[in-house]
Amino acid sequence: MSAPAPVAPAIELSDVTKTYGSGALAFQALKGIDMRVEAGEFVMLIGPSGSGKTTLLSILGCVLSPTTGTAAIFGEALHGRRESELPRLRLEYIGFIFQGHNLMSALTAEQNVAVPLELRGYSHHAALVEAREVLTSVGLGDKFKKRPEELSGGQRQRVAVARAIAGRPPLILADEPTASLDAESGMQVTQLLKALCTERGHTVICVTHDSRIYHLADRKIFLEDGRIVPEDQAH
Amino acid sequence: MKRPAMAQPVLTQASFFGRVRTMAAIGIRMMFFDRLKLAGTLFGVVFAVLLGNFQAGTFLALLGKNRMFVENAQVDVWITPPGTRQFQGGKPLTDSQLNRARATAGVAWAEPLVVQTAALQLPSGGSEPVSLVGTRRPRFVGGPWNLVRGDTRSLLVPNGVIFEDSEREKLGGLNLGTLRELAGHKVQAVGFTWGLLPFAPAYAFAEQELAREILKVAPDKHTFIMVGVEPGVPATVVRARLQDALEDTRVMTRDEYMKEILTYIITATQIGLSFGLSTFMGVLVGMITVALSMFSSVIDNMRQFGTLKAIGSRTVDLALLLFTQAIIYGVLGSIIGLGAVAGMVEGMRNPQLTPVLLPEAFAITAVAMVGVCLAASLLALVRLIRIEPAMVFR
Ligand SMILES: Nc1ncnc2c1ncn2[C@@H]1O[C@H](COP(=O)(O)OP(=O)(O)OP(=O)(O)O)[C@@H](O)[C@H]1O
Ligand SMILES: [Mg+2]
Repeated sequence: MSAPAPVAPAIELSDVTKTYGSGALAFQALKGIDMRVEAGEFVMLIGPSGSGKTTLLSILGCVLSPTTGTAAIFGEALHGRRESELPRLRLEYIGFIFQGHNLMSALTAEQNVAVPLELRGYSHHAALVEAREVLTSVGLGDKFKKRPEELSGGQRQRVAVARAIAGRPPLILADEPTASLDAESGMQVTQLLKALCTERGHTVICVTHDSRIYHLADRKIFLEDGRIVPEDQAH
Repeated sequence: MKRPAMAQPVLTQASFFGRVRTMAAIGIRMMFFDRLKLAGTLFGVVFAVLLGNFQAGTFLALLGKNRMFVENAQVDVWITPPGTRQFQGGKPLTDSQLNRARATAGVAWAEPLVVQTAALQLPSGGSEPVSLVGTRRPRFVGGPWNLVRGDTRSLLVPNGVIFEDSEREKLGGLNLGTLRELAGHKVQAVGFTWGLLPFAPAYAFAEQELAREILKVAPDKHTFIMVGVEPGVPATVVRARLQDALEDTRVMTRDEYMKEILTYIITATQIGLSFGLSTFMGVLVGMITVALSMFSSVIDNMRQFGTLKAIGSRTVDLALLLFTQAIIYGVLGSIIGLGAVAGMVEGMRNPQLTPVLLPEAFAITAVAMVGVCLAASLLALVRLIRIEPAMVFR
């Protein structure tokens, strides 16, 4: 029993630009991005500070709309959407991992992981069962009831990974998920992310600065000054 | 190695009630996670509840004092001097007015009442005023109520006067049978009432002939004329007839008189205004406390709210979260505040000026406080709406 593979690519961007502000203050952060990612790929997005990585990720994550160009994930167009449609798209397609863990400090690990599941219509009970399963798969089988403040940085980021992949949204977007971790934990979390996403069939876009984890990528995309550049031209 | 099945779009979505449940649970957990803020916010609500109920309760107590006579006398229609707005005599009414009242259609009976202040001589040498009420036998309309010793018929004892029990000490240690001079006239205590303390001196009761002697009021002069209507005749109809028949008087049914006293207290005195204002201030302080606390909670947890938005909650969902918190603040604050009010009122039970706590006050307070907290949460909501989900990547 296997679901039919999606026909559309996971990501298809064509001449996407993003301009922040307007008039004299306008700033073009993306200057025409063409990009295609197949379902199941683990892609690292690499580039210097200010090159537009977060901007690109925000567009893919349906929290920002492109100024011009066309963008689609799994065949679903993202451009020209009404603001009110975006939350549904995010629930349907995307799991987020942020630079900070961004967990709710009042909730336990399992409650944090259950939130996006409940928003997707899981019953309270089913959400908890799934949350525990995913937490176990990230190696936190004994930390269900711990609040973020009771966990180490690496453990928190693993809860964040669990929250992103719980419910199996097809696209996982991670913005420097290891930035706040030491090298050791950063490597562990990335390896875990890679292994789980391969096993569960997620497509991953992972922004990173950390050259020590580049080798985990199926493919690397280099961004500079709002444009995609070939690897040999990247700084 | 077999290529894994690709993850598919998640097409299910929470129902409205599912979202309410999820958001309410998050809201409650956030509230109880920050205990200090919870306590501070509740303090604001409790403050408003305490102040509001004490003000309203004291106002009701005050109103009760002003209306107790009209409220308790078994009278359908009151004929009072012109311009009367309280239970207070003015220009005396006359015998001819009494007779015309008796001759009016629908009137079953009409009785005069005499009320005036008199000084009771104390054994120590000083004197204390009482509001002496002269009620006519054999009907004794406008007579004493709430008797703890003796009964109305005790007024038939020669020179018998019924006093207020809670004033016995103040009146020089009165007991049943005590002899005293009331405005120079020898009287004997023949009974005691409980709680008959208007703002004027405490009520005392005597048969009308005795009262007229003590107060030196002529037999054809009356402070009020009280009317009972014939069965089946509406009091308002008789009131209208009496008003037509009796110029130079103000005629009111019992209910109208009660309302008039209320209106008088609210409009003609500063009391209504001052009580209203302090209640309003209390509620305002509570509201501001809740508003600022919820607002600062949104500011403190900006990233977390942004994350909730980024992972797919809509603004309405976050509104549900805030509203849950507001409702709980309102309900919890009301329960704690009303418990404190009830305890304090119980602790000060005496016939002086104990705030009156009506059962309705509990329901009104809870509903009002929930409303206040919901309104207060709008400030936080405005801030929440402005959170961009994209901020979580920054
Ligand atoms: N909301 C905004 N308003 C105006 N300019 C913005 C905004 N967000 C980003 N920018 C600008 O757009 C450019 C790209 O920003 P972006 O955050 O995408 O870079 P980045 O590659 O993620 O950088 P970093 O590695 O520092 O996170 C930067 O020059 C930045 O100053
Ligand atoms: Mg960035």
